[in-house]
Amino acid sequence: MPDLAVVPGAPAGFLFPQRSDSAMERWMEQPVSEPTLARQELVRLLRDVAGGDRTALRSIYDRTSAKLYGICLRLTGSEEDAADALQDVYLTVWNKAGRYEEGRASPITWLALIARSRAIDLLRRRKATPDPIEAALDIPDEHPDALTLVSAGQDRARLQHCLGTLDDRGQQMIRAAFLDGQSYPQLAAREGVPLPTMKSWIRRALQRLKGCLES
Amino acid sequence: MTTDEPPILPDDDWRAAEYALGLLDGAEAEDAAVRAAQDPLFAAEVQRWRLRLAPLLEEIAEAAVPPALWPRIAASLGGAAPAASAAARASNDNHSGDRRLAFYRRWSIGATAVAAALGLFLLLDPRAQPIAPMPVTPAEPAAEAPMVAAMAAKGSDARLVATWEPGARSLTVAAAGDMPNDGKHSHELWFIVTGAKPRSLGVMPLTGRMHAQLAAEIAAALKQGTVLAVSVEPVGGSPTGQPTGPVVASGALLPT
Repeated sequence: MPDLAVVPGAPAGFLFPQRSDSAMERWMEQPVSEPTLARQELVRLLRDVAGGDRTALRSIYDRTSAKLYGICLRLTGSEEDAADALQDVYLTVWNKAGRYEEGRASPITWLALIARSRAIDLLRRRKATPDPIEAALDIPDEHPDALTLVSAGQDRARLQHCLGTLDDRGQQMIRAAFLDGQSYPQLAAREGVPLPTMKSWIRRALQRLKGCLES
Repeated sequence: MTTDEPPILPDDDWRAAEYALGLLDGAEAEDAAVRAAQDPLFAAEVQRWRLRLAPLLEEIAEAAVPPALWPRIAASLGGAAPAASAAARASNDNHSGDRRLAFYRRWSIGATAVAAALGLFLLLDPRAQPIAPMPVTPAEPAAEAPMVAAMAAKGSDARLVATWEPGARSLTVAAAGDMPNDGKHSHELWFIVTGAKPRSLGVMPLTGRMHAQLAAEIAAALKQGTVLAVSVEPVGGSPTGQPTGPVVASGALLPT
């Protein structure tokens, strides 16, 4: 507790911090217990799964399946496919939990990306035509509250900022690809443009996005 | 629009981004998958792009999982090696010294999957109020069932437990151990509905124990997933109506 000072006479074990910066700032800098503990718990459970502990996998399932199923459902657009994809997700977790590296991504990000990949794999296998682009046009919260920032850190704010520097079309295409699993040919057909045009639109948007995120 | 566009990336560099976004299909997607499996640099670039865009996934709301799914998954795992399970148990034992986690687990174990997921994901996405009926477990807690919030925070020794009985609109808070009293500060209790500003539930008595019967309007906001938090404020409470001092403990309401 580097920034907590002992108050003379204060009972041991529970000390008044001397700084009184904005509570919200501190909240953002120092995650509150819930996300931190939930994250630590998931990291620990992933380690246990890597050691072959089925109960730990069930615990991860209990904590994350509703979210990961939501991702599978959004991408596949079908409950049956989403269920199949979700089964693949937890099989992947069972087999690859040992490959999770805490320093590279939060456990829930890692899991969410697995869900997205499995759902896209399934989409491509099915060759299904997903729902129209409307779903991709959900405008994200412009002003995420402090608790959102706690969990997502700067990443989300930065991504939103940088997406905001793209033109509308570039944003929509990137979101349609990432959130709805739309491929180049699907996007080109939907927008009624030749494939090379779509590739050029998206590459330009990605290039600008990368430049912004890395600046 | 900037005038100085970055130089166009070599064609090869696009492959990782395009594969990461899921833009490729057919043979192109398969080629990229093979390459990702064989070429660590390519795989790393793919993962970098996925991580860049991963925050978008927070926008996707939870959905009710078909209850029959877990048995299907469990059946597909195959037999776990007993040795591995023993290792995992030993690993669990190693963690038993982590009192903070143990404290948390006491309250979260036995909570439904919904509760655990809510604690985690409502914080991730303020818009993800589950629209669907509560997912995963059939044993959905009744609206009137009591709930508990275990409050703690990184860098703080404060531990408090709040018990909320919606039927009686009764909120009881108890600190584990002594609450400090330096005569210059108070502890104030707040509740935070995801997506909204914190609202005060009042200044806590010096004993660290508190009982209140809440107004119906406030009671309606104290639901599963609502976060309770304790901040350090000037004596008498925050002068601004919002937390001004550090948050020394917080936790979400979960079913018991």
